[in-house]
This record gives sequence, structure tokens and C-alpha cells, in this order.
Amino acid sequence: MSEKYMWVTCRTRMKRKCQNYESRLPDNTAVKQQQLPAFRLQLTASEILSGFFAIGLFCLGMGIILLLSAKSIKEVEINYTEKCATCAKLREEATNFDKECNCSISFYLPQKMEGNVYLYYKLYGFYQNLYRYILSRSNIQLVGADVKDVRNCAPFRTSDNGLPIAPCGAIANSMFNDTIVLWYNFNSSTHIRVPMVRTETAWWTDKYVKFQNPAFQNLSSAFAGTAKPPNWPKPVYELDENDPGNNGFINDDFIVWMRTAAFPNFKKLYRRLHRIGNFTEGLPAGSYSFIINYNFPVSRFQGQKAVVLSTLTWSGGSSLFLALTYVEP
Amino acid sequence: MFYPLLSCNQILCFPLMFPEFRRLTFYLSTHSTAKYSMWSFLPRYLYLQFSKTANAFFLFITILQQIPDVSPTGKYTTLVPLLVILVISGIKEIVEDYVSLLLVNALKNTALNNAWQMILWKEVRIDFDSISFVLFFFSEPQATCFVATSNLDGETNLKIRQALSETATMKTEKQLSNLSGKIKCEEPNFHFNSFAGTLYLNEKSPISIGPDQVLLRGTQLKNTEWILGIVVYTGFETKFMQNAVKSPLKRSKVEKVTNMQILVLFLLLLVMSLVSCVGAIYWKDRYRAEPWYIGKNYDYHSFGFDLLVFIILYHNLIPISLLVTLEIVKYIQALFINWDEDMHFKGSNVYAMARTSNLNEELGQVEYLFSDKTGTLTCNVMTFKKCSIAGITYGPHCSDPQWQFSGSWKRLISCVPFLQPTKEYIKEFLTLLCVCHTVVPEREGNNINYQASSPDEAALVKGAKKLGFVFTTRMPNSVTIEARMSIIVRTPEGRLRLYCKGADSVIYERLSENSLFVEETLVHLENFAKEGLRTLCVAYIDLTEIEYEQWLVMYKKAITVVKDRMKTLEDCYDSIEKFLLLGATAIEDRLQARVPETITSLLKANIKIWVLTGDKQETAINIAYSCKLLSGQMPRIQLNANSLEATQQVISQNCQDLGALLGKENDLALIIDDGKTLKYALHVEVRKCFLNLALSCRTVLCCRLSPLQKAEIVDVVKKQVKAITLAIGDGANDVGMIQTAHVGVGISGNEGMLATNNSDYAIAQFSYLEKLLLVHGAWNYFRVTKCILYCFYKNVVLYIIELWFAIVNGFSGQIIFERWCISLYNVIFTSLPPFTLGIFERCCSQESLLRYPQLYRISQTGDIFNIKVLWIQCINAIVHSFILFWLPAKMLEHGSNFIVFCVCVICMLLFCLQFTHFAIWGSIMIWLGFFAVYSSLWPTVPVAPEMTGQVSVAHVLCPFSLSVSYRIRNTCHRTLLEEVREMESSGVQVLRVLISVTRMFTVHIYLLTASPCFALSDGYAFSQVERAVISQEELVRSYDTTKNKPQKTFSSATLE
Repeated sequence: MSEKYMWVTCRTRMKRKCQNYESRLPDNTAVKQQQLPAFRLQLTASEILSGFFAIGLFCLGMGIILLLSAKSIKEVEINYTEKCATCAKLREEATNFDKECNCSISFYLPQKMEGNVYLYYKLYGFYQNLYRYILSRSNIQLVGADVKDVRNCAPFRTSDNGLPIAPCGAIANSMFNDTIVLWYNFNSSTHIRVPMVRTETAWWTDKYVKFQNPAFQNLSSAFAGTAKPPNWPKPVYELDENDPGNNGFINDDFIVWMRTAAFPNFKKLYRRLHRIGNFTEGLPAGSYSFIINYNFPVSRFQGQKAVVLSTLTWSGGSSLFLALTYVEP
Repeated sequence: MFYPLLSCNQILCFPLMFPEFRRLTFYLSTHSTAKYSMWSFLPRYLYLQFSKTANAFFLFITILQQIPDVSPTGKYTTLVPLLVILVISGIKEIVEDYVSLLLVNALKNTALNNAWQMILWKEVRIDFDSISFVLFFFSEPQATCFVATSNLDGETNLKIRQALSETATMKTEKQLSNLSGKIKCEEPNFHFNSFAGTLYLNEKSPISIGPDQVLLRGTQLKNTEWILGIVVYTGFETKFMQNAVKSPLKRSKVEKVTNMQILVLFLLLLVMSLVSCVGAIYWKDRYRAEPWYIGKNYDYHSFGFDLLVFIILYHNLIPISLLVTLEIVKYIQALFINWDEDMHFKGSNVYAMARTSNLNEELGQVEYLFSDKTGTLTCNVMTFKKCSIAGITYGPHCSDPQWQFSGSWKRLISCVPFLQPTKEYIKEFLTLLCVCHTVVPEREGNNINYQASSPDEAALVKGAKKLGFVFTTRMPNSVTIEARMSIIVRTPEGRLRLYCKGADSVIYERLSENSLFVEETLVHLENFAKEGLRTLCVAYIDLTEIEYEQWLVMYKKAITVVKDRMKTLEDCYDSIEKFLLLGATAIEDRLQARVPETITSLLKANIKIWVLTGDKQETAINIAYSCKLLSGQMPRIQLNANSLEATQQVISQNCQDLGALLGKENDLALIIDDGKTLKYALHVEVRKCFLNLALSCRTVLCCRLSPLQKAEIVDVVKKQVKAITLAIGDGANDVGMIQTAHVGVGISGNEGMLATNNSDYAIAQFSYLEKLLLVHGAWNYFRVTKCILYCFYKNVVLYIIELWFAIVNGFSGQIIFERWCISLYNVIFTSLPPFTLGIFERCCSQESLLRYPQLYRISQTGDIFNIKVLWIQCINAIVHSFILFWLPAKMLEHGSNFIVFCVCVICMLLFCLQFTHFAIWGSIMIWLGFFAVYSSLWPTVPVAPEMTGQVSVAHVLCPFSLSVSYRIRNTCHRTLLEEVREMESSGVQVLRVLISVTRMFTVHIYLLTASPCFALSDGYAFSQVERAVISQEELVRSYDTTKNKPQKTFSSATLE
């Protein structure tokens, strides 16, 4: 027993408390009595069947429409991994990076491509979705806030002499750097270079929000104290010296590359047809050739690359797949 | 001021005065003591939460994520949802605890200052729920009071408590206010019958206090105007609480399956991680080294490291929000039960109460119902209905509704004034009824209310009063109490007479040879019992003065004997009890309202009903007949044996007779005559055979059981059949079985609160069981199981996509969805649909469920939720995720380059529910809103650079919106197939068959047409097929219930 006592003296003060004791009855609402009106479908057999057929018809219709629209898309894809075998061989050795290699591929366009024509490059077996690859970039650097912020860019953080790389990281370093030029062989002697626009290939938000050059009068001085990515032949501020709106971090080719692909086989927009002169209507039928400055090594990772010419419709690119999912059993 | 005293054992506090109340009852409140206090909340709560495996797992993942470079999803993406979950569930705990907190606060407020306060009982009641051990100083009229302790020890008789003589004079406040001193008492313990304390009053010698001065918590004050007392123990210190065995934590079957499934998912997670690790090794091996573009100077990660990465990557397979969702859903389901007006007993203004929410879905699976008889099936309101005096029966005929003073009752009264041969007997009989009992009269103006320890006695006294023999006052100490009851009175003429009343078997043993009417009364007793009446025999004997003196000497000696006092006393009583039989009384205990209907529909719902009663066999059988548990043509097997061998023989004989029918459900009733037979039947050797027999019967009736036997039989059945058992009862003797059964239901009736306080669900009437089981049970089962399935489904469907993605990204651990999208998926984007499923889902309407109790079998068999169904669901989810990933993947392969898809939207829609569109569209809106805001944050707020600008890319949604339309269609199909049951059940019988046949036919056609012909992508077709099959099964199953109908063969044929 504890020895703690509590002493109390008492004073009397009688006080009568009277309060109404309210019973706490639940109120009788539909929610509480679970009598909420419920909508339930009461379908009969015929309703199911008809509904089913209706949806079947809808899908069939959608499928046919999609199919037709996909069929109307003209697309040319030329895989030039094999065709430029010499160049590919050359690029297998990393030491040959400064040797130029050009490759010409001719093809015949049987039907004209009407409307806007887009030029893509397509890579097979290139895993832009590798975890560490995706992480290896500096968004703070790319938005122009701090050119020297290379924290997340391992293993392409600094150059051999210790300067921070701009743009740093594996994604930037591995940027696709073939140059593709399309020639229209009007006749055996006249070759016209097909006019292409190199801007407005990236998303608006990428170009104007996510990617910004550092605020400096002179772009090259803005990047002073940084090094170019090891794989690049020239620094970032020389990507497009003719157009200051397309140079540095806001270069469209660069931005397109930086938006990583989800799948190992992907195509990225490279150029848009500039519809002037002979090409106001689109690409006329005839003989063409691609002149490709072959820089990007793919055989080292057993990959392949291709060049794609395509038109677009409302339903997107030239994909029969969507249409087929609707139509085929 | 008594609040601070809660924790001391030696206390003195102000006496409280309770005027103006008649019956002071110290209720045990369930929330008498709050679970948490202000300070203990956090540690205690966290401990509780993390002792749950799932939460501990997520804590573990959170810790793993803190290791640098391991986590592909950032450091806090598990922590945040976990915190959200903990906060939500914490709020729920606080809300649940809030009531108790209020109580404690009220307690503090009532004890504001050091002053005496006159408090009305109504106000004090709350306090007394928790402060409950009162040492009382004094009461009236002779400083005594009567208490009933039936809630504590089950004894129904009244007991007397007397104040200390030193304080017995203190009636006025002035006297009390001058009182000052202290009380020293023993440490809290659980012995009801002992108490040791000392009262030290100023300037007086110490006075010892014994158990006679103490009112224990749980006792009921009877016919005492008021008392004055001091609180000595409070809360858990009270003997009541010290005795309260923590009622066993009951967990529902569904919960067990769910826990099992979480474990399975964890294994799946491990398997997926291992597969991914192997995949990573294979990938690295194939490319020999990392490709040039990723850089060469990277360390290879070890296998273990990769494993951790993948575990973190896939850990969301285990639904983080499931537990808290279920908790809240069940809490609300319990509220629905509490709110139900249909289960509101207007008579006593009592609502049904779900005292636990763990077992809500268990209510939908009950297969065995163990019911008490008295007070559960019957009202426990006794009325004196018939009597047999001197070989003549008095009372109304069975069919006579106007029973009370009509017919032969009048004859009985009119007999008294006339000279008839039986006149003396009738007078004696009625005098006996008036005198020989423990009833306490209570005057209120001209009325006299009777407070009785047993309703039988009150009925008899009231009956006698109606016949003109009024019992008015009682003096303490003048009543002798025993198993049978005898009383010695001195009649006005000065003669001594011994009256006795008791069970027939007891009285007949003690009749003297020259007793009359023995045979006739025996016949009458049997007749009474057959009518379902409770019988008592009454007898008397005249004593001479000498006999009495002799006996008194013997008696006084006997009560001072220390050793074997009871035995000596009994011998002493027996020595003078040689009775002359007067007659017998018969008391009716009416059935509660709608009991037969309820039992019929429960039987239709395939619930087997066992009646376990302490009453005798004839009465029990009779009640069973009147509540339609037994029917006239139902064959009965009666077990009554006196030895183990005999029992064994009878049982095996019966088993043999049943032959092939053994183990199947037969239209048989098994009646066990007494507890002794049951004891033998539950003997280890016989048990199996007995259970085989008992389980083959539709109805089992066990009579003359002790409370322990009731619990034992429930336990045995529970273990044997692996089905859900439910026990329902109202008295202290039912507590055992209520606690043993899977679900315990207490009836808040006349016999105190003990059964209610130990039950899981408390209802006021037996008939409410119908709604509780057939409607709430079935609904809750559907709700909970669907909610669980949905939670599993949505997680599996989303996170298996990660696995598919791993295949195309070289098992590098890259996430497909943005990290915060993943982590908020469970707690925000998809939080509403499970709730609405869990709260509003209805398998069919209340009316149909009540009209067709057969529908209960769907939930009862548990076929819609077991490991197999869960697996089907998982496989379904895997297939869906396959489609969800590869379909867009193939679609987008040609054109686009995203890393984040908007698949969340679709996932949310996949499994949609019927009618609460709010949840679906709400979720979508939340997602879209979040998406819009989140993707415009960068670079203002440094999060989610990869999301920037995605909103503007409208065409992402274009193909998906088509998928959305699919999903909605899917929803429709689901709804419809659910609907089948309602339709068929609400339709006319013949129509039902027709419709169902067409429907089955349709389903088949549907299956045929679905797969090959149409343009639906496989996944959707699959899901329809799957649903269709389930529903068809259900449909057929619900048909089987109409076994006697001609269409039976047809439907079973279809089943093949």
C-alpha cells in the first residue's frame, strides 16, 4: 500500500443542476438508412445483344475509318545501317571520331507526298530508357539557371581537365549527330536540295520553358568555363550559328533528343518540309537521294538506324496498329 | 476533484448525493476509458500501426529508399503516402476515441471545486460509468440497501448492503460536511466477495470496512431511494474491470484471407524482383558491357543491390491504402447498423449497436446460429397463466385470448368466499404465492411495484395480487433463500406454517407420504410444460411450536458452523421439509414479436439454428414448435442417456439409422435432453460421432445446459465445421458462448447488460437478426470483398506494367510513371472508388434480400471471395496490365516519345462501380487537375521536370478517350450481371426461370460472339467472359435453392 493520503475538507454548497437530457437519436435520412436511390441497369437479353452489336459496329466503323486514314499516310523508311557499311565500320572504332564519312542513298518515290512532310531519324536498339541514362542530365543547367550545375550528370560531369560539361550527362553526350540532307533528282543532271525547316520540331513548353540559354549577351561567353560533351565535335553554342533562336540549349535538334524515348526503337522528328517552289504541294513523285554525314555509331550497340519520310493525319502517325486493334478479332 | 484521484488506492473524496432516482444502475460503458490520452497518443498509435505487417513493410521500404542511389522513385515517395495513411487512420482513431475523451472531460467538469453538489442521477451517470466502486456510507431505511449482483456473479437474488453503524446516522449535509478523514483500502483485485479497508475519521478510532459496506461496479441498486458514498476505485481499478476477461480479439475470415493474400503478393513481388534481376544480368550479358552512350566508368551493381532496386520499384504491388480503406469502410458500415431505423426498438428506444466493426462481413457468412431461449426467443416477461390447485386446473384455455380474468380465473376467485372442498387449499395456495418469494414491494402512491430478482416470482406475486392477495411490505431478514424456496410464517391465528416453492423434481422428492393430489398435479405439470409454460410446484406444512423451536436451535447451530456450513444448513432444512402438495403454477414466457417469421427466413437462408437453453426439455420443445423451428411432421431424435456407454450406443445407433444420409442436411431435429447427456456426447470418444449426427440435422435443441456447456458446444462446432458461427443471447449465462462464437450478438433485454457488453453486436429484439444478417451481413460482405478485390486489382494492374516496361528498358530499374504519380495513385487518384464500393455497393435491394433469404447463400458460401477468386482477379489484372501497356506501346511506337503515360486514368476506370459516378468522375477530375497543376510546376517549383508541358500534348488523350469508352461499357456489363440476381429474385417465379434460361443462353451466345467475331481487344472480352462466368455460377446457385420446384432438374442440368 502506498502511503500517500489525500486529505480533503468539505464545504457544503448544494446546487441542483437540471439539464435537459437530449437523447441522441440518429436522424432518419436516406443516407443513414441506406435508401439512396440507386441506378441499376436492367438489361434484357435483347438489349445486351443489340448493345453488343452496336458497339461491335461502332468499333468496326472506327476501325475502318482509322484504317483508311492510316492507309492514306505515305511513309518511306530507309534503313541505312547496312547501306552505309563502310561508314559503319569506320565508326566502330571510337578513335576515328574525327574522320568524316558521307553516304548517299537513292530511292524512288512512286507517288507524291501531299501536304506537310516530316523527316525523321529512327533508331533501333537504342535504350534511351535506361535508368541511369535518363537520370544523367541537369535540368537546372538546361533551364539556364546555372551552367555549372552538373550534379546529376555522372558519368559525364566534367571533362578531363576538370571543367564542367555543358550540356552535361549521358543523354546530351549521346546526341544524334548525323546530318541528313534530302536531294530531289529532278533529272539526271539537276539535283535540287529539298528545302527543310529545322525549327519547331520540339514541344512548345520544352523550347520556351524547360530549355533556356543562360542570360548573356554573347552565347559563347555564357558558356565560358565549361567544356563540350566528349562525343560532340563542337560546343553547344555552335549548334546553329546562323539562327540565334536555335542555338545553344534551345536548339531544336538538341531538345528533341533530350526528350527521351520510352522504347528502344524510336523515331524522332528531324526536319519539316519547307513548302516553297517545287515543293509547295508536298514532295512530288520522282527520284530522290539522301546524303548522310555518318557520325552516329550504332553498330557498337548492335543497333540500327533509319531515315523516315512521312505525312500525318488527324489520327497521328502512320500506324496501322490502332486501326487493326479495332478491326481485327 | 475525483478525477485526479483515479490512480490512487487510498482515497477520500466527497460523498455524492443522489436524490430522486429509483433504480440506480451502474452501467458498464464500453467507452468508459479512453484508449488514448493526450500524451500517450502518438507513441501508442504508432506502435499499433507498425505492428501491422503491411505498414511495417512500407516503413521498411521507406528506410530502404533512404539508401543513396537505390531508389528509382526518390526518397520520400513511400513516406508521403504512408504519412497520409497514418494521418487518416489517426483521425479515425481520434474520432472513435472522441466520445471517450468527452466523457473524461465531463468527469473533470463535474468535479470543479471542493464542494458538495447535489447532482441528478441523469447527470452523474456518465461519471459512474467510469467511477464505479462506491463505498457507501449510508442509505435508508435502516442504513441498508438492496443490490442485485447478477451482472457480476450471475446470482439473481437481491442482496443487502448495510452502512457502518458509525456513519449510519449521517443523513444531513451538515453532518456530512463536518466529516473529515481518510480511508485506507486494499489494492485493486478481482475478488468480488472480499474487501478490506479502514476508515479513519477525525478524533475517532479506526473503523474497519468489509464487503458488506461496498457497492461494486456492475451491481444494480434495487428499490433504494438514495445512497451516500465515497468513491474508492475507479476505472480499471474496479473489481468489475479487474474481472473483465479481455474478450478475445475476433478476426474475420475475410481478413485472414486478405492477410494471406498480402503475403502472396509479397511473394509475387519477390518473384518479380528476382525475374527482373535475372533479366538485368541477361541484358548486361547480351551487351557484354554497358552501351557506350551510358558511359563506361560506372560500377556494376551487385545482384543484391539490384534486388533492392526492384523491390522498391515494385513494392506498390502491395496495396498501401487497403488497410486504412477497410478500416474506414467498416467503421461506416458499423455506423449504418447503428443508424438503422428498422432495428430500432421503440419499446425501449434502443438502437442496434455494432460494438466492433471487425466482423461486419462475417455477418454475411453465418452458417450456424446458436440461440438462447429465455429472453432471446421469448420476451422474458412472465405472466402467471395457469395453476393447478388441489388437483384442479385453473386458467384460460389455450385458445382463449382474453385470459386474465375470464373463464376459470373468475371461478378461482369466486371459489374463495364459498364453501367448497378446495377452498382452503386455494387460500393457502394464494397466501403462499404472496409470501414465499424474494420480491421487494415498492410503493408509489396507491400502486405497488414489485422488484424481483427473477421475473417468474414477480409474475406470481402480481398474479396473486390480481386475485386479491396483495403483498405490501417486507422486512429484511425474514426471507430464507435456497435453491428451492421455503419460508416459515406465523399466521394471524398464531400457527406456524412452512411454505415452499420450487421445481417439480425438488418438491416431489420432499413430499410426505400422506400428501394428496400427487398424481393429478403431475399430469397437470406435464400438460403445462407441453404448452410451453414454466412450472413450479408449491407445498406447505404446518409446524408445531416444539418442532420449530428444535429446528431453530439446529439452525442457529448450523449457521455458526465454520466448516461445511452449507452442508449442515441443508441437512437442517431437510429435517423439517416434509411437505404436503398444494399444487403447481404455470407461467408463460411469450415469444418475441416476429420470432417465427425470422426463424423461417433464417432457415431458408441455410442457417442452421441450434437452441441452447438451461430450461427443461418440454418447455424448450414447445417454444421450438411455436417459433416454427420444429414442425409436426419433422422426425425427432431424442438423446437421453445416463452414462457414457449408453450415450455412445444411442448415438452410433442413430448414426447407423441415418446411413447414407449422414453428413447431409436432413429435415431432422435432434433434441438433447439434459446437460449430462451432452457432457457424455462431447466426450472425446463420442464427440466425432455426435457431431456427425448433430450436423446432419436441421435443428438441434439442447436443454438443461450450464453456461459453460453452451460455450463448449459452440467451440466444438466451430472447430469441427469450419463455418462461421453466431451466438445470440441476453443473459450472463450466454456470455461464454457469445465470446466463443465467431460473431456474438447480445440482446439488450431484461437480464442486465452483461451479454450486450460482451457481444460484438447488440440488438434489442431477436427478429432484428434477420435484417442484421440477411441485409447488413450480405451487403457488408459484398462491399468488403469487392473493396478488397478492387484494391488488389488496381495495384496489380498498375505495377505489373512496371514489369512489362522493365522488359523494354533492359531491366535498368527505370520507372514508367512519374514517381509522385505512382505514390499518390493509391492515396489520392484511386482512393474514392474503393470507398464508394465499400460503403454504397449493393448486391441487390434490401427488399429482395429479405424476400428471398436464399440469396444469403451467395455470401455464406464465401465463393465470391477466396484465394482462388483472388488469383483469378490477379491474373485478370495481369492480363489487363499487359493490354494496357502493350497496346499503347505498339500504338505509340511509331510516332511518339514519352516516358510517362496517362495510364492512371484508365486504371481508375477499369473496375468501376455501379452507381456512384461521383467517385469515378471525381477521381478523373482529381487526376486531370493534378496533372495540369503538376506539369506546370517546373521550373517555378523544382519538381517533376519531366512532366512539364505534358498537358498541352492533347493527342495523348485522344486514343485514350476511346479506351475510356470501352471501360464504361465494361462497367455496364458488370452492372448488368449483378443485376441478374435482383431481377430474377424480384420477378415472378415462373418468369424467373424463363429469364434465367434466356440469360444463360445469352451468356453463352455472348461468349461465342465475344471472342471470335468482334473488334473488341482481347482484354475486354476476357473481362466480360470472366464476369459472366462468375455470375452464371451465382445465378445457378441461387436457383438451387428452389429445390422442390420442378425446374430444379433443369437448372442443375444447365450447371453441368
